[in-house]
Amino acid sequence: MKFEDETQNLKARMGVIHGLVFAILAVLGVRLYFLQVVNGGYYSERAENQRVRLLRIPAPRGAIFDRHGKLLVDSRSTYNIILSREDMKGKDWNELLGPLSEGLGVDPDLLRERLDEMSKQPAFEEVTIKEGADSADLAWVEAHTLELPMLLVREQPQRRYPENGTLAHVLGYVGEISPQQLKQAKFKDYAENPYYPGAIIGQEGLESTYDRYLRGKDGYRKVEVDSRGRIQRELETVAPQPGQDLVTTIDLEMQLAAEEQLRNSPNKRGVIVSVDPRNGEILALASYPTFDPNLFSQRIGTPEGRKEANALLRDPLTPLFNRAIRGRYPPGSTWKIPMAVSGLKQGAITVQKSNVACGAGIQIGNKFTRCMGSHGSPEVRYAIKVSCDGYFYRLGLKMGLEGIMQMVDEFDLNKRTGVDLPHELVSWTPSREFKARFNPRDPEWKDIDTVYASFGQVYDFVTPLAMLRAQMAIANGGRLYVPHLLREARPVSEIGPFAARPRRGFDRPDPKLIDIPAEQHKLVIEGMWQVVNAGGTGGAARIEGFDVAGKTGTAQVVGLGKDVGKNKDHSWFVAFAPAHAPEIASIALVENVGFGGKFAAPATQKVYMAYVAKAHPQLAPAAAPAEAAKKQAEAQGVGHQ
Amino acid sequence: MVAIIESRKFRDFDWLLTLLAVAIAVFGTWMIYHAQPETSYWKKQLIGLGVSSVVMLAVAFTDYRKLVHIAPAFYAFGLFLLVIVLIPGIGLKINGQRCWIGVPGLGQFQPSEFMKIPTVLMLARYFGRHRGSHLRFREMAMGGVILAVPVGLIMLEPDAGQALTYFPLLAVVLFLSAIRMWLVIAALVVMTAVVPAAWVVGTQTGLIKPYQQERINVILDPENADRRGFGYHTWQSIVTVGKGGLTGSATRGDASQSKLKFLPEPHTDFIFAVAAENTGFMGCVLLLLAYAVLLTKLIHGARRAPDRTGMLVIMAIVGGLAFQIFINVGMALGLLPVIGVPLPLMSAGLSAILSTSVAIGFAISIRLRRFVN
Repeated sequence: MKFEDETQNLKARMGVIHGLVFAILAVLGVRLYFLQVVNGGYYSERAENQRVRLLRIPAPRGAIFDRHGKLLVDSRSTYNIILSREDMKGKDWNELLGPLSEGLGVDPDLLRERLDEMSKQPAFEEVTIKEGADSADLAWVEAHTLELPMLLVREQPQRRYPENGTLAHVLGYVGEISPQQLKQAKFKDYAENPYYPGAIIGQEGLESTYDRYLRGKDGYRKVEVDSRGRIQRELETVAPQPGQDLVTTIDLEMQLAAEEQLRNSPNKRGVIVSVDPRNGEILALASYPTFDPNLFSQRIGTPEGRKEANALLRDPLTPLFNRAIRGRYPPGSTWKIPMAVSGLKQGAITVQKSNVACGAGIQIGNKFTRCMGSHGSPEVRYAIKVSCDGYFYRLGLKMGLEGIMQMVDEFDLNKRTGVDLPHELVSWTPSREFKARFNPRDPEWKDIDTVYASFGQVYDFVTPLAMLRAQMAIANGGRLYVPHLLREARPVSEIGPFAARPRRGFDRPDPKLIDIPAEQHKLVIEGMWQVVNAGGTGGAARIEGFDVAGKTGTAQVVGLGKDVGKNKDHSWFVAFAPAHAPEIASIALVENVGFGGKFAAPATQKVYMAYVAKAHPQLAPAAAPAEAAKKQAEAQGVGHQ
Repeated sequence: MVAIIESRKFRDFDWLLTLLAVAIAVFGTWMIYHAQPETSYWKKQLIGLGVSSVVMLAVAFTDYRKLVHIAPAFYAFGLFLLVIVLIPGIGLKINGQRCWIGVPGLGQFQPSEFMKIPTVLMLARYFGRHRGSHLRFREMAMGGVILAVPVGLIMLEPDAGQALTYFPLLAVVLFLSAIRMWLVIAALVVMTAVVPAAWVVGTQTGLIKPYQQERINVILDPENADRRGFGYHTWQSIVTVGKGGLTGSATRGDASQSKLKFLPEPHTDFIFAVAAENTGFMGCVLLLLAYAVLLTKLIHGARRAPDRTGMLVIMAIVGGLAFQIFINVGMALGLLPVIGVPLPLMSAGLSAILSTSVAIGFAISIRLRRFVN
């Protein structure tokens, strides 16, 4: 180079620059190698994750039917219009009020209320602008996506339950899974069909017990989104697999008959349960007062709905409460039937000589406990027929507390029945521990306590279903079935990636066996037959040609003499029919109305009539066909109102 | 006579350099198309490429010495443009920066891009005289002034990224003008000592604000730094580059990061990420090699330049180009913070491609005259 001279060693300096250029490019090349060749797969996945979204397609939940295939519960698709908080950032709510209320026909005051509420909610919660949007609303939202990008449409399958609270306690209801529930092992660890935040699950009743059958498997839309989450194209669609339909053991007509009896009772409170004593299938289970499950499946998301639900929770008459499995009541004289069976079994009385003195009552220490009549020294059938208290006081003393406790244990009266409904309570039954807890000032068990325990008072608090289960075993000669509501969960065929789901039945069909010798059994059944058919206390339950056997009960709620008004006795009636080949067994409890024969027995008779009309039409009275037809029409209408 | 000159010019013309520059620009246009297929950027870039080629040839066939001779006029005109771009109404404000002048019918141009050429010419003119001794302080100060005036005006726009690209021009010119080696070494030592010290002092005293620290953290750990805020650009660029893998995803048919708008500014600042996504490691290495060959060709031209001025012009251009490539690609690869510097010959923008073409035209012109004297 002509211009080069000694002072600057220019060649070397240019070489340095050349070297720097190569070094820079080499650094970039090495970095590229690490990003693209070494970690390319990782970044590819990251890009994939931000570009691909899975949008859930909710699976339809299985429907619920009665035993004859009548629809009880189904789901339909509804659409809600919601406001995405993400897209609302930095915008003024008030500007939205006008266009929204006009475009969607929502009352501006209600809208303002909801928007106000939103500002108090955590940011991730959505605000529903309109429930049950119709196609015109959806079209309006679609047409305004540019100006109002914060409006989203959410499909929501909605559960429809029968009107008037029919079967509410049996069916239960669905609702959104709570954060607490999501942490429970039952939900958290169910990998086969995972639960996720926002999932709709059965919260009560059969919806809860058989949630895993009823829930379908959600499908999804795989979509490609841009950086703002807007869908660019569909990549894949997987259709959902519907849940399994449930067929229950319920006979809708009997159920309606039972509910009608309770609704027409003086206090509109009580329980009627009917089962098939040959297998434990529950034909009707009515608990009053009842509630509308649609509140929880449809309206709970609205402020008005929440108000309604809170009122239900606080209602002193506890309409949400399934009295058949959560109510503990003194059973009164219905207790005498297992007492009689066990008295015979334990040898306190015998088939040959079952006479025990009545004495119009019993003197224990300085306290006289009276009988309603003076029955001499009756044998067991007569004692049952007239419900002689004195007889059972002395029978109880003969058996002793241990004998009564043995009876309780044998008939599972101190256990849950195992019915396929959630939240069943255990009955309280006589024991030394129970007395010590119940009456700590006088914890010692005395003879007078045995007397009380032997006729269904003071130390006996049973759930109606536990009592019915024991009575059903007495009816069928000793087979203690688990009362249940599931006949079958219908199979679902394979869809896409989802395997077929097989038919399922009730999983505990085999009864516990109690050995009741035939002649002892016959004796007790005859007594119960006489209660209804031979001038006993339950004559009101009589059906010509359909040998109803039963036992009344009148349970004291408070001490004698105060049984008026709201403290009136509970009216009980347990029954089964036909007496010697039972097809139906039942328990009826009408709260705080008085004598069992007057209220519970005729109510039972009405329910049996509904059964007879269908199962034995030749026995039905002449007027029955017309009535049955009317009932039939009612029953068909029930699921579709 | 004319024929002889013409044939010699034709023979000595650096065809490889020209073709390489055009090839990179064509590749760039193709990537712009990939980045924004639904817009007209790639068509504009194609027109720009055509115009640039013509201008490049025109510059190449002009005697660079004549242009260096009138460099002060260019320089003055450039400064004039940098002043009027600051006047609202003439200068267009985009993203908070007033660095564009709208020309009716032609679109808009960026004076700060073009100002690099007169600055290089002025520096070469001043430092191009015969040297017999080491660089004196007075000369360094003069070089500083030549640089400081346009850089100061650019900082008023404000466009720090563009201003930054001026410094290597002076650095190269000083380095090749017999600056004492101990000064260079001292400057490097001071920088390596001062930068970490300033960081420690700045963060302790709060002079470096948390958001500024965040920008540095983004580079240190892009995945866990603020991926939705400051780190968004860097993180998305890294993902886009990494996603390209060995051979790129252009053939795989899935929607690209830029099409889905995850990658910001895909046709300008992050054009390299687009190229990386579409052509993979293979394509990127070829591109870097192309730059390496281009810069090597330029340096070879500088070595054979007929005079110091020509040598300084080419080497300043080399310095400027290499620096911009490093800043831009380093940013796309998450090595450097986000600085808005275009990638030479690749990024969409008429001003950028035109000024780069003019620069390369100078290099060709100087080489053409290597035997003349």
